[in-house]
Amino acid sequence: MSMFDLSELENDALVEIFNIGVGQAAASMSAIVHEAVRMSVPSISFIPRAEAARLLGGRDPAGPERICGVSQHYQGAFETEAILMFPEDKSLEIVRLMVGESVPLKELTEMEQEAMCEIGNIILNSCVGTLANIFQHELQGSLPQYHVGTSDEILTATGSGADTVVLMLHIDFLLEKHQIHGYVAFVLDISALHDLKGQINLYIARAMGQA
Amino acid sequence: MPQAKTVLIVDDSRVSRMMARQYITGLHADWVVTEAATGEESLLKAREVAPDLVLMDVNMPGMGGIAAAEQLRQEFPAIPISLLTANVQTATRERAAAMGIGFVEKPITEARIAQLLATLETA
Repeated sequence: MSMFDLSELENDALVEIFNIGVGQAAASMSAIVHEAVRMSVPSISFIPRAEAARLLGGRDPAGPERICGVSQHYQGAFETEAILMFPEDKSLEIVRLMVGESVPLKELTEMEQEAMCEIGNIILNSCVGTLANIFQHELQGSLPQYHVGTSDEILTATGSGADTVVLMLHIDFLLEKHQIHGYVAFVLDISALHDLKGQINLYIARAMGQA
Repeated sequence: MPQAKTVLIVDDSRVSRMMARQYITGLHADWVVTEAATGEESLLKAREVAPDLVLMDVNMPGMGGIAAAEQLRQEFPAIPISLLTANVQTATRERAAAMGIGFVEKPITEARIAQLLATLETA
């Protein structure tokens, strides 16, 4: 059930805009880890936060997977919490891919959180920055924050209440050689959704030469 | 033989500073690399070491990279400054252009660092 209506054209434009953003994010991710990164087409759903957590939590019958997340809050053209998530047990492997083999394991472990924050900062900004450029409206981002927990705990920590209706833009990506799956999610509340809808319509109007 | 240069890396991320340092010294083993973790610290370091180039992150706690670059620009108009940032927005690029400073996107790669250093190599 959709809790927030977008016309077919608006939905199409939203997917296209996020697709471009995600393309940039994939290119950044690939430059960080020095290997090909495959990203899915964004799936967009308007769902309660609890359901978003279930969606991100994986399908493991043993319980929700523990995730390492980096979030950044953006405001300007619209307000959103952008979150990059990896399985917790892959985080050190990603940092190793970033900094190379020469850094000793002890040092690598010490810098893991900080490195994940920087990776999140680069990937989220390359996606959000592309959106800001398309909307021709600046988005100011907070400093990245690091979280570890289940997807539900991470969504709670990033400020969305259990009953919040969220726009879940869910993008899977895969580091091909290392078989590491990650996710990017954008959480918006109703007021932010209206702002986003306004930006999409301005974009459509520009695309049609009406603005 | 060209003279060894001093590069000031300003970034709140230790990993980013480490990577930038690694690429700079990999390309020029004799160059001096100095680091600052905040905009405020970059002003103190610049007065101390008089760098030949400043690489400046944007999104940092405290005064932030743009304000620090503006202040450095006023105090040391001859020192080249380049933003080295994940903030790829047109607004940030335009701000850099208006201030007469460079702009390079993160992630930090050897090619991007080489491009930044190239202007100094012949100087």
